Amino acid sequence: MDAFFQWLETSGPSTVLRENPSIMVFPFILILHTVGLGFLVGANVAINGRVLGLARGMPVLSMRRYYRVMWAGFWVNAFSGMLLLIAYPTKALTNPVFYLKLALIAVALWMARAIRRRAQAAPVAAGTRAPQALRALALAGMACWLIAIFAGRFLAYTCTRLTWEHSC
Amino acid sequence: MLIAFEWNWFSLMHWDWLNDQLRAVLNTLYYTPLGEFTRNSRWAWPILESLHFIGLSLLIGTIGMFDLRLLGFARAVPIGAMHRLIPLGISGFLINISTGICFICAAPDQYLFNSAFRWKVVFLTIAGLNVLFFYTRVFRRLESFSENMPPPLAARIVGGVSLGAWVGVMSAGRLITFFRP
Repeated sequence: MDAFFQWLETSGPSTVLRENPSIMVFPFILILHTVGLGFLVGANVAINGRVLGLARGMPVLSMRRYYRVMWAGFWVNAFSGMLLLIAYPTKALTNPVFYLKLALIAVALWMARAIRRRAQAAPVAAGTRAPQALRALALAGMACWLIAIFAGRFLAYTCTRLTWEHSC
Repeated sequence: MLIAFEWNWFSLMHWDWLNDQLRAVLNTLYYTPLGEFTRNSRWAWPILESLHFIGLSLLIGTIGMFDLRLLGFARAVPIGAMHRLIPLGISGFLINISTGICFICAAPDQYLFNSAFRWKVVFLTIAGLNVLFFYTRVFRRLESFSENMPPPLAARIVGGVSLGAWVGVMSAGRLITFFRP
């Protein structure tokens, strides 16, 4: 694994991402990752908030377009996250918290899809309470996003190795 | 990583009167119990940062999604009903004000004398004034917006300004660490 880290971190793209001092390189990628997070988790907050009983005047399916916002946020973050990973592969891949974060995101996305499928099979009309199974999914989804955000932020504080040759 | 002010035109550091006022409160903020705690506790900083991102998500999840609806996106959503999400966004905003105050007290000079932080305050002010405009000029007519119809121009302007301002707040916030004095 170390040979791979060394190869990647001494490659052109990784070096540029890590060492270019322009605001438009590393800081801009972090901005993308933050704004993407806002829209990815935000769309889930709105949909799950409705399922959990806030703003019940909205039929759940009327919000279906917000899944597009969610997936747009997801792809922005998959892309920016990949660039961050290319910049600092050792830092992320040697930290168990990183895998926890990815697993939580996968579970949360699966739950968002399950909520959509169930709402399409049995629509939740304006003013009505969502069925218990749907509410359980929404609550579990919010818990996943919450812990995923903590995990993401803690990556910077729990890493043991920064690059193949430097420790954190 | 320290990045020099390569784009000097956006520096907001030239207002001497403001700098003097802020310099006078640096020590007071630094030695508050809140500042001491945030600075010295092993895990306070990452926990507060995580909460700051959670507050951000609540804010974008409610106010941001409402702004998209004001812009004409997701027209199937009854907008009057959607407004009931806003209290959740206000709770996110309060989380972020509280955690933000902790950061400022922990290292006041790093924020108050930081161009990115000052831009963040500028964007927050724009968002705040826009909220005033929304509640005085648009909110009363909200119930009359019909679903599946384009919203009135005033609503679209308010939604666009709000969305732009919050993206500005997030971007400037993320840049703070690169503009530390």
